[in-house]
Amino acid sequence: MHRLLGLETEYGLYVDGVEVSDLVDEARAIVQSYAGFCVKHKWEYRDEDPLKDARGFRVAQLSHNPEDIKYERPTGKHLSSREDHVDHVLANGARLYHDHAHPEYSTPECKTLRDLVAHDKAGERIVWHCAQARARQSGRAISIYKNNTDYHGMSYGTHENYLVKRDLPFEWLVTALLPFFATRPIFAGAGKVGCEDPKVKGVEFQLSQRADFFTEICSVDTLHRRPLINARDEPHADQRLYRRLHVIVGDANMSEYTTALKVGTTALVLASFEQGWIPTITLRDPIAAIKEISRHFQNSMNLETDDGRTMSAIEIQRIYLEAAQARFAGKDKEADWVLGEWESVLDLLERDFTQLAHKLDWVAKHQLLQSFRESEKLSWQDEALISLDLEYHNINSDEGLFYALQAEGAMERLVTDQEITKAMINAPDDTRACIRGACVRQFNESIEALNWGRLWLKHENKIVELSLRNAFGHRVDELKDYVRGSSTVGELALKIIQK
Amino acid sequence: MPDRITKPSEPWSKPDEGGEGGPRTPDVNRPNTDKLLEKMRRVDPRAARRYRQRSGE
Repeated sequence: MHRLLGLETEYGLYVDGVEVSDLVDEARAIVQSYAGFCVKHKWEYRDEDPLKDARGFRVAQLSHNPEDIKYERPTGKHLSSREDHVDHVLANGARLYHDHAHPEYSTPECKTLRDLVAHDKAGERIVWHCAQARARQSGRAISIYKNNTDYHGMSYGTHENYLVKRDLPFEWLVTALLPFFATRPIFAGAGKVGCEDPKVKGVEFQLSQRADFFTEICSVDTLHRRPLINARDEPHADQRLYRRLHVIVGDANMSEYTTALKVGTTALVLASFEQGWIPTITLRDPIAAIKEISRHFQNSMNLETDDGRTMSAIEIQRIYLEAAQARFAGKDKEADWVLGEWESVLDLLERDFTQLAHKLDWVAKHQLLQSFRESEKLSWQDEALISLDLEYHNINSDEGLFYALQAEGAMERLVTDQEITKAMINAPDDTRACIRGACVRQFNESIEALNWGRLWLKHENKIVELSLRNAFGHRVDELKDYVRGSSTVGELALKIIQK
Repeated sequence: MPDRITKPSEPWSKPDEGGEGGPRTPDVNRPNTDKLLEKMRRVDPRAARRYRQRSGE
């Protein structure tokens, strides 16, 4: 893909006998249970500004979900910031922390879909191991879910990150991406029983977990009044050259194939934009469109455009596909794989979506629940169907329904278990994550602070800054060699200075 | 449950294949419906009623 890619997943958790008000403590304890090699509590926030909007202004504050307030409970505990926020950087270059009431895993930066899928799955296993350690300690069973809703109106995110060139004007990106993101759930959705908008009745099964929760076109918010396009301007790289597209509109995918297709298509769309292509289509109401597509995929395929046309979600996706085919066919194997699968999936969605049950999450889940519904003579409104939906996302491979399908060999896999195990401890070798990972291993005690773009290392009474903000291509190899060839921070500093 | 029809596709070739990886048929089988249904019957139908979360990002 030749682009830095990353995924952040907030996990849902259920702890036997623990109320939702106490899930912050549980999420914290789960992350604290990480037993692998890492740097603890050294995350440096100085390069982050969640209030900064890519459209050139700063908002006064972020929106918060008023529903959350009812779960706040004064504990009387006075925690230091270190106790309150648990934050680990792992030797594989990833970040494991708790974002309020959810354990969260951010993959290391990857350049290939294969690496990204392996690291996303590695994150599942790491969080699962942490939860098991916590369960042994507390004596309470813990279930962890890789999904995006509690089916009672509370959502949590799975975010995608794409490094893009700064010279793409952000307003232009917003316009060009909206039809793509509004229609992407036809293959990227994780599927959901019912609808969480109390004003909407009669939805039995929809494609997306998240579509119910979007009310805005573009903003920096992520917790409430969520936008289709997140405008947070935190490049985590040289801000003169890059921006990080922070995508919050996607679902958590269990299927390796769906993850690869979701990220691969989006990366090719961004690459088409960088080559100057712009889609000539604007949806009249992208927010209504993503909900309509999610809730009525089979019955309502006519989306209104600004110029008075009506188009289906598949037709809109084909506009983006053809632009990418014209520019990237034959350029590299991974792009060819994405282009071929994208086209084939759109064809099958048009003809017979059930043929995609071994590839796409929403189809796999739909077919699974449909068979149960028919067998047990249940309506879609039966609460057992929602419980089975939840169970599809259980990351315990002995219990979860996705993993039951995978164990039956019924889900297409793109990486091996060995690759996932390797990703749990090793960073991708071709991105700056491997430099971060090497520092975590070699200079663990000397790390004063770190974040995605920089590390600060103690040497005698000085601080050596190692910037990764322009570490791409050959610079990754160079810095990697410096770190691996240095036995002390002093040696590393000398190599950087001499260069 | 409908049959799952698989078609050959080529997830990108593995790094150790040296770019020589040809099309391969994914290892995808028709699921054992009875076994899956039995597993689904064991799921507590009220699990989702108890599942409550704080909102996240």
